[in-house]
Amino acid sequence: MALLAGCGSNGSSDTATQAANASTDSGKYSGQTLHFYNPGEYIGEDVISNFEKKFGCRVLMDNFDSNESMYIKVANGDKYDVIVPSDYMIERLMQEDLLQPLDLSKITCFDKLDKTVLANMEFDAEHKYAVPYFWGSVGIVYDTTKVDEADLEAEGYGIFKNQKYKGDIYLYDSERDSLMMALKYLGYSMNTNDEAELNEAYEFLLEVVNTMEPEIVTDEIIDNMAQGRKALGLLYSGDAAYVLSENENMGFYMPETGTNLWIDAMVIPKNAQNVELAHEWINYISSYEAALDNSVTVGYTSPNVEVFEELSGEGGEYEGISAYVPSRENENDEVFHYDEKARKIIAELWSKIKIAASNV
Amino acid sequence: MKRFSDLAIPYIVWAVIMLFLPVLLLVFYAFTNSGNGMVSFTLTLEHFAKFFTDTDFLQVTGKSIMIAIKTTLLCVFLGYPVAYFIANSDEKTRGILILAITLPMWINMLVRTYAWIGILTEGGIVSRIIKVFTGKDYEVLYTEAAVLIGMVYNFLPFMILQVNTSLCKLDKSLLDAANDLGANAFERFIKVTLPLSVPGIVSGISLVFLPAVSSFFIPKLLGGGQYFLIGNVIENQFITVGEWNFGSAISMIMAVIMMLTMYVVRRAEDKVSGKEETANEKR
Repeated sequence: MALLAGCGSNGSSDTATQAANASTDSGKYSGQTLHFYNPGEYIGEDVISNFEKKFGCRVLMDNFDSNESMYIKVANGDKYDVIVPSDYMIERLMQEDLLQPLDLSKITCFDKLDKTVLANMEFDAEHKYAVPYFWGSVGIVYDTTKVDEADLEAEGYGIFKNQKYKGDIYLYDSERDSLMMALKYLGYSMNTNDEAELNEAYEFLLEVVNTMEPEIVTDEIIDNMAQGRKALGLLYSGDAAYVLSENENMGFYMPETGTNLWIDAMVIPKNAQNVELAHEWINYISSYEAALDNSVTVGYTSPNVEVFEELSGEGGEYEGISAYVPSRENENDEVFHYDEKARKIIAELWSKIKIAASNV
Repeated sequence: MKRFSDLAIPYIVWAVIMLFLPVLLLVFYAFTNSGNGMVSFTLTLEHFAKFFTDTDFLQVTGKSIMIAIKTTLLCVFLGYPVAYFIANSDEKTRGILILAITLPMWINMLVRTYAWIGILTEGGIVSRIIKVFTGKDYEVLYTEAAVLIGMVYNFLPFMILQVNTSLCKLDKSLLDAANDLGANAFERFIKVTLPLSVPGIVSGISLVFLPAVSSFFIPKLLGGGQYFLIGNVIENQFITVGEWNFGSAISMIMAVIMMLTMYVVRRAEDKVSGKEETANEKR
């Protein structure tokens, strides 16, 4: 665990100054509107209403179900003040000049955030564009009553080809995560754009689909694993944390061959209408109050150090839930990068996998 | 007179913007390869070549057509008796029954399909009933049966309403005439009622078959990610792959297939009703 606890102590005084600022600022924003574009079920219950009360403004939130569908809207000119894409998608938006740099003099929250998470933001190493919202990894959620942990240790992601668990597995319907699993199993970088390596990964997934009768699902995997309907599934750590806290028979395992470390972060699009308020929102989301509400409600890991330590520590909401603490020292873990060539190949391969699955 | 036709101008403008332009754009995308944005593009047939040379896509298309045919047949066989029953009820009951058929359609299709997830899932009502009879756990969700149930459920009202309309329009004196000429109830149905309701069946078929063949959210929700139909392939090309040109080409191919289907069905209808007329003339 390489987490730095240094900034926890000044958290309370910070909140105090912010509250003071808020009372003077609240008039400034009254009647204004913030357009926020967020993944579905990704925000605390009272975050928006508290922000509205504090600043006298309105927050209009739209939800998206994948980075790709978000991209289509933003790239085609829909106007939002703050959006929350994943790492590789932020890289793409930066490359295509769709983001504006943050006004760093207005961002007051960096000292509250986890240094390791900030260091992992390879796509924006100088922190000019993005402030983390949630972070985590991808791992295997398994039913400890059905799955032999020795199999997991020995086979890693290869357990998805183990005939013992035929008909008892879920694949996650996301091309990046599924290809990541296959590439990591084969010992390749998940950021490869080498066609031969990608094809090998394709063959791995094809074998899984042809021999293991997997169900390829999206978010229904969360409730289904929480109810123990299948023995194995590939999940994001935050969803896994929810599953583990609902069902004590479930375990979370990150194979030694590596996993995807991801960061979803707040960015301001170039065509944002209310840049001032957008900065205020980013600071607020990173504050103890909002970050706590977010993380408790959603189950994903907070980049706010104080919140993270409170929730994962003794007596915390996620005490003993391994999936809430997804970071580890493993050089095989990687952050996704954006590569147009790889993106196209991966998308094509995954659609072929799904066609193959429906033709079995 | 001229004044009145002027009133149609807003409608024509509306139709051009909302109907004609999108289709034009689709055709444009299907036959081009964009360089960067709309600035530079090249005409090409490669998207069509790609579709027809890849057995995967052809298999999925075949599968989509098969499930649409199954859906349509089920809708005809389930819908016709219901429509017949409604048409033969007295006026007051008929109104109530029609309302009962249309009422669920006031709720969004997506929401109603979500409801089926709960019904069909493991531990849901359906699997519990199956367990009572077979003693085995059986999950219907994420199978072809689930997709079929979802499709029939969503599209059945269209069939019932169409057939019902044509049955209600049927001239009752023809039935009396058949009785007087000595036909029994079965003969009367086969020789008079059924042929005269063919137009209703045909429009019902077009209202069921067309959306069924291109449906993408019903297979997605009830069939799971491993149940991939042509509608899902198109959605996937637009949303995740980002190949708008290829997606447009597949959409166009599907549109042509549907138009051909409709042509064939209409021809068959003409033949049936044409035969009736010549038979009448001979008499």
